[in-house]
Amino acid sequence: MREIAYLAWCYLSYHRIKTAILVASIALITFLPAGLNVLVSQSAEELTARAESTPLLVGAKGSPLELVLSSLYFESETPAPTTFAESDRVAETGLAEPIPLYVRFRSRSYPIVGTSLEYFDFRGLRFAAGRPMAVLGECVVGAEAARELGVHPGDFVTSSPEGVFDLAGVYPLKMSIVGVLATAHSPDDRAIFIDVKTAWIIDGLGHGHQDLAAPDAESAVLSRDGDRITANASVVQYNEITAENIDSFHFHGELATYPLSAVIAAPHSEKSRALLLGRYQDDDASQLVVPTAVMDELLETVLTVREYAVAAVAIAGSATLMTTTLVFLLSLRLRRREIATMMKIGASRSTVAAVLISEVAVVLLLGGILAAGLTLATSRFGSAAIRALLLS
Amino acid sequence: MTGARSKLECAWRGGLIALLVCACSGEDPVGRAPTEREPDELLVYAVNYPLAYFAERIAGDLAEVRFPVPADIDPADWSPTPGEIAEFQQADLILLNGAGYARWLEHASLPRGRRIDTWSGFRDRLIELRGGVSHAHGPSGDHSHTGTAATTWLDPTLAIEQARAIAEALAQARPPRAAAFRKRLAALVAELVELDAQLAATAAKLGDTPLLFSHPVYQYLERRYSLNGRSLHWEPDEAPDPKMWRELETSLEDHPARLMIWEAQPPAGTTRRLDELGIRATIFSACANAPAEGNFLSAMRAGAAALEEMGELLSPP
Repeated sequence: MREIAYLAWCYLSYHRIKTAILVASIALITFLPAGLNVLVSQSAEELTARAESTPLLVGAKGSPLELVLSSLYFESETPAPTTFAESDRVAETGLAEPIPLYVRFRSRSYPIVGTSLEYFDFRGLRFAAGRPMAVLGECVVGAEAARELGVHPGDFVTSSPEGVFDLAGVYPLKMSIVGVLATAHSPDDRAIFIDVKTAWIIDGLGHGHQDLAAPDAESAVLSRDGDRITANASVVQYNEITAENIDSFHFHGELATYPLSAVIAAPHSEKSRALLLGRYQDDDASQLVVPTAVMDELLETVLTVREYAVAAVAIAGSATLMTTTLVFLLSLRLRRREIATMMKIGASRSTVAAVLISEVAVVLLLGGILAAGLTLATSRFGSAAIRALLLS
Repeated sequence: MTGARSKLECAWRGGLIALLVCACSGEDPVGRAPTEREPDELLVYAVNYPLAYFAERIAGDLAEVRFPVPADIDPADWSPTPGEIAEFQQADLILLNGAGYARWLEHASLPRGRRIDTWSGFRDRLIELRGGVSHAHGPSGDHSHTGTAATTWLDPTLAIEQARAIAEALAQARPPRAAAFRKRLAALVAELVELDAQLAATAAKLGDTPLLFSHPVYQYLERRYSLNGRSLHWEPDEAPDPKMWRELETSLEDHPARLMIWEAQPPAGTTRRLDELGIRATIFSACANAPAEGNFLSAMRAGAAALEEMGELLSPP
């Protein structure tokens, strides 16, 4: 038996290029469907994990996928805005804890997420340095954003205009960093978190300016009519909130009418969840979506694509198998003299067959081992690659 | 043997002194220094003294109530540092007065789920303030920075509702202790009802007598007891300027008040000049911050008693 294995090994190592090509072909054709399967499963897990940790999302009527992608990954277009009243509405039901989200602005390429302090507990986010925001104008930066921007507590970030020509639109606000989050391996790593009221200041719904009733603001006053003062364009508005000017910041109108992109609703129990879903069933203005259901729908499309890919790989696999068989059969013809010599020196037909079968078995075994190694590497490093792909 | 006895005596005396110190310092724990809490003990922060007092009365030793505003600052005007707000963020419950009280709340980030809106039961009974400067700039049109009268606790019926909201919040935070909270609430409500009766009796004696309030903080007291009052903007620690005296004299022409109610003792010169105008000064503390002596109820009772005394002096023989 050892002699048969030795002869097979000698043949394969002598024809190492042919052996290597055969092993690589078999390995790749085995790895492709297996690796694809692993990769798709991991992508599905990555996508659904965040959806599963977000029980319900309330938003304005519109695309549920846009609402979920914006609220979970801070990507995609900002969905149609709902109002802060929706957050109050969820709270007043007593069925769920509302966490407002206003994801519209960016600082360079990093999303600015207007939310409440509950968000950090809800996502289980820990602070690597500093503390949560305490007053208007303070922000907390995700681990990756802090690393890439090279910022720490005590530094500043500024919101970016929404468009180059949007000079009168978004209010560029210089925000002081008071905390940096620990790495969470989630889209939170690239986000900049602020209080939702600070987001409304960026939106221009709240602002701080010099006291128009004060004598030093005389040049900024256009007209006075009793208790009514009209300011001219020179009124000094602040683009940074400091301890000195924070008291001048105020909001116009009812906060309940202010915009939000979504409200995360964390129900107190399964029963509360069902009741809340019922409350929004016939709502004309708002929608309550289950992120896992929306992501499942998205994944169904991904899985269909995978099935087509696997079918294509299976066809290619069959072709490879046939070619490999052909290679072996042709090599038998080329090795007729070698086989005859083996028989002349006393090898039986079964011994010759055993040598040839051993050669095929070794090639198949090596190909299998290589495919298994590649699949293992995919499952080990695939999730990191997917995460990087999702976060980029 | 003698040495051992002397050590025993020292330990005994030390223990006795420690006991005495503990007994003396345990009178009014509102605003006490942060200490290690029991695992079940709630940490409650309040934005003004009345709410802290109510919470302290209702929770007893089941909560550590903190009211961090310094004694010489009106809690409505207090501006906490971000570090002090961070301490509020750690609380299990944050008691808010509502009605726009404490402007710093507008700029602060506090956990919504732990904020207790003690005014939510009487939103429709808040008093809107008139006047104030409105201004316009940009496309948003006119707006003014006036708001709502905030010293709600001066109407004991509203104070009772605030106390009930606190008791409810405490009960929700610690359901097994709900019965204890409700029992203590009942005792507090009984005392507030008693205070209401005392103030009603005082108001009955004052009748339609014109009154002056040194500062516009008594709106809820005025409404509850149908007092015929008019508010000035005089500070007890500042002498009024000539313009303010002239405004007072003008006001007296159609509102011939003989009694002026102050939040704190006014300067002697002011009292003398008021006397010359036939106006007696009396103190009724709004009690937004902790009184130097006693507590919320004793300060309110003292104010009611002083008012009653003045009412008797002013009433015709």
